[in-house]
Amino acid sequence: MGNVERCDKTLPTNAMMYAVRKDAALRARWRTDLEGLAREFGLSRAEYEAIRDKDPRRLMDLGVHQYYVPQILRLFFGNAQNSNSSETLECYRRAFPAETAQALELQARLERRRG
Amino acid sequence: MAEIVAAMAMTHSPGLTGWFTRAPEDDQQQARRATAEMRRRLEAARPDVLVMLSNDHLLNWPINNVPEYTVGIADEHVGPADWFDEWLGMEKYRVPGHPGLARFIVNEGARRRLALAWLSEMQFDDGISVPTHYLNPDARFRLIPITMNCTVPPIPTPARAYEVGRTLGDVLHAWPGPERIAVVATGGLSHEPGGPRYFWVDEEFDRWFLDLLKRGDHAALLAECTLERMEAAGSGGTAELLAWIVALACTRGPADVLAYMPAIAWRSGTGMVVWNELA
Repeated sequence: MGNVERCDKTLPTNAMMYAVRKDAALRARWRTDLEGLAREFGLSRAEYEAIRDKDPRRLMDLGVHQYYVPQILRLFFGNAQNSNSSETLECYRRAFPAETAQALELQARLERRRG
Repeated sequence: MAEIVAAMAMTHSPGLTGWFTRAPEDDQQQARRATAEMRRRLEAARPDVLVMLSNDHLLNWPINNVPEYTVGIADEHVGPADWFDEWLGMEKYRVPGHPGLARFIVNEGARRRLALAWLSEMQFDDGISVPTHYLNPDARFRLIPITMNCTVPPIPTPARAYEVGRTLGDVLHAWPGPERIAVVATGGLSHEPGGPRYFWVDEEFDRWFLDLLKRGDHAALLAECTLERMEAAGSGGTAELLAWIVALACTRGPADVLAYMPAIAWRSGTGMVVWNELA
């Protein structure tokens, strides 16, 4: 099965992300006191550091559900016009260079096909 | 007795509203044409209520407790959820619900051994919001949202989705009211939200899947389009096509494929289909 099967359904980061997305006060804490927020939700040091470093590969290796990874990045980079030219792409390019290069190559090929 | 008068499916990728113009002009035109045609056919079918099926995207339930299906039973539905409105580039919308029929679906489903969770205040992300923007922008049709688990292991199989769709169709037909019902599935096509292949789509899979719908042979589709095949075409996202398979079970024969776009810019293989014959 696919990448999604790697998620750890018991990981504190997954519980924290469910709560943060629903609560504006927690989202504000994210910006001002991420470490304290992580402590309150029981995250390990490794989880906190992977979030702080905006590292999709480490987050998924730890068991963060893949759907929450771009949401974590949106909490840092903002929510609007989330296009492929965003900082999110740069994070994925660093974390998954082969997969991201393949995707960008495909996009370029599709654009050439359209002429 | 109630009647199912339309069945259709479309991609709900957030780029379709949040950053629509980032896609090539040709894709934008195709999407506009196809959604306008869906809306035209929907209006021609004169439904009273849309039963809309979508992945929940871990919004309404935490990962430790994800129901397979959840029915929204509110008098009125409001979206998008706060975290999603800026992302989707959408103002808040309000759509009247149909609590009587929604509660009937929950309870009659249980009598037929289908476990359906329910919520009186369901939150909406792209899954319900994007199709509502295109198909029901003036809230003319009442809405019964049914969210489903397409992304938290264990992900249900296509065979299970089809079985649920058959039961759902029977339940809708059993409603004693005169309502005309449209079944609208949302999600897919290939994409891997947040995974290592986040910026990729699988055009070959998408065209193959749409060809299966065009053939209209349900048994062949269920035999060939396994969950493993969906996962290979984009883990945790392509399986949103399970919603399409629930809708498929309410139909007979081939689907009209109105459009397909391998729209990496919108983060998803993007397609729109309408079925002509209803079961």
